[in-house]
Amino acid sequence: MSEPKIVGFCCNWCSYGGADTAGTARMQYPPGVRVIRVMCSGRINPEMILKAFKEGADGVFVGGCHIGDCHYDSGNYKWRRRAKFIEYLLPEFGIDKDRFKFEWISASEGEKFQKTMTEFYNHIKEIGPLKRSN
Amino acid sequence: MNPEYLLARSKNPEILEKGECGGAVSSIFQYLLDKEIVDGVLTLVRGEDVYDGIPSLIKNSEDIRETCGSLHCAPTIFGDLISKYLTEMKLAVAVKPCDAMAINELEKRNQLDREKIYEIGLNCGGTVMPITARKMIDMFYKVDPDDVVKEEIDKGKFIIELKDGSHKAVEIDELEEKGYGRRENCQRCDLMIPRNADIACGNWGAEPGWTFIEINTEKGRELVENTKKEGYIEVKTPSEKSLTMRNKIEEVMIKLAKKFQDKYLEENYPSPEKWDEYWNRCIKCYACRDVCPVCYCKECALDKECYVKEDQVPPDPLTFQGVKLSHMSFSCINCGQCEDVCPMEIPLAVIYQRMQKKYKNKTGYTAGISEELPPLYSPEKE
Repeated sequence: MSEPKIVGFCCNWCSYGGADTAGTARMQYPPGVRVIRVMCSGRINPEMILKAFKEGADGVFVGGCHIGDCHYDSGNYKWRRRAKFIEYLLPEFGIDKDRFKFEWISASEGEKFQKTMTEFYNHIKEIGPLKRSN
Repeated sequence: MNPEYLLARSKNPEILEKGECGGAVSSIFQYLLDKEIVDGVLTLVRGEDVYDGIPSLIKNSEDIRETCGSLHCAPTIFGDLISKYLTEMKLAVAVKPCDAMAINELEKRNQLDREKIYEIGLNCGGTVMPITARKMIDMFYKVDPDDVVKEEIDKGKFIIELKDGSHKAVEIDELEEKGYGRRENCQRCDLMIPRNADIACGNWGAEPGWTFIEINTEKGRELVENTKKEGYIEVKTPSEKSLTMRNKIEEVMIKLAKKFQDKYLEENYPSPEKWDEYWNRCIKCYACRDVCPVCYCKECALDKECYVKEDQVPPDPLTFQGVKLSHMSFSCINCGQCEDVCPMEIPLAVIYQRMQKKYKNKTGYTAGISEELPPLYSPEKE
């Protein structure tokens, strides 16, 4: 199959730092992952996830700070509530909720970033491209 | 507060005769207007025929007489009428449970001032679409729909009164089996007694000629007490039998509603392929968005080019219906207006109610009833 397209929203303070750590340590992660930096996972709303799928993503990943470590105090709590809601919503449009993943990754966890991305990428590759009739 | 129950009827002979089951509600409205406690009463007024009800603001106590009697074939909703046009006014509103739910959701979003509103709840077993009503009266009752002068829902029957004074009744079950009867969202609705209003009035369990009132709030208790004190209504305590009967009716209705929920939201729920077919019908008229009583933002995500392309019809369901669902579905009160107005007959209410049910099961948040905002709005660290 063709290379899966994965959009990865990463929060500036932790997950993006984690990606950076992975990069400077030369840890390889799949090239199909397109990282978009946002200031906080609490900035992400369901619209953005839906838009990513609409534009042709086969999987969407969101990374935030560990619970309790949010740079803005409670952004990741808000995100977690939204993430759960997105999990209820996606199946209504025929999108397997496995195509959407969120994880807490700190700036020092380059390895966790690499591992999470590789696993998610492999899973998406396994279930194949997202087919939508529209 | 503990619920309080009583039976009431009007002391005004004219209202007593003309009003539904004792006219207690009309008398409460008259009291509120006469004593200038409210500036207006928002309620339904019969239009051209029994299939037409017009939401009207009544400022003159005399005109309350015109509002007597039920109108089951006019599925309207009051919540956003208040938030859009009547926020400055002290109001009394005759609310169905879904109206009260809409008001509750809007209040939580600071779109109206609940302090200014008296919510007089009316028990509701469901409403019928005017067109459906005409069709079924023609088919099942074998009479000219224009000959109907009054309609009523009682003891599981839809009853009509004709010009010549005769009555005809058909079991609602029978009508609904054939795809007629109440609107589908009403069939699935499990809130018949508006306990989210100040008082809940109805004929369930009441003696003939009396209104059964359940008092839900302190404000409601004061209102009924003062109305009585001023000599507008007389009240008495309902018998044990009355209470049991009312509970029984409610129980049966809730059970039936759960059955319909299973039927429409699970068994017969459209498949993803079917939904694609429905979404492909969409002509992007925005009627569903505009009519939603809870949806209130002045600046709407659906007007943004990045989500909804101006020249794309049908719109991509993910960023049109999907975004709308992500904004509103957890607060859906199942009023069914979106489905009613859809010119392409997309069964929107089922997907919204299903989402709200999922959300409720996971978070415990019931739209229109829970007193706090949905957890998605919460600033808490939880």
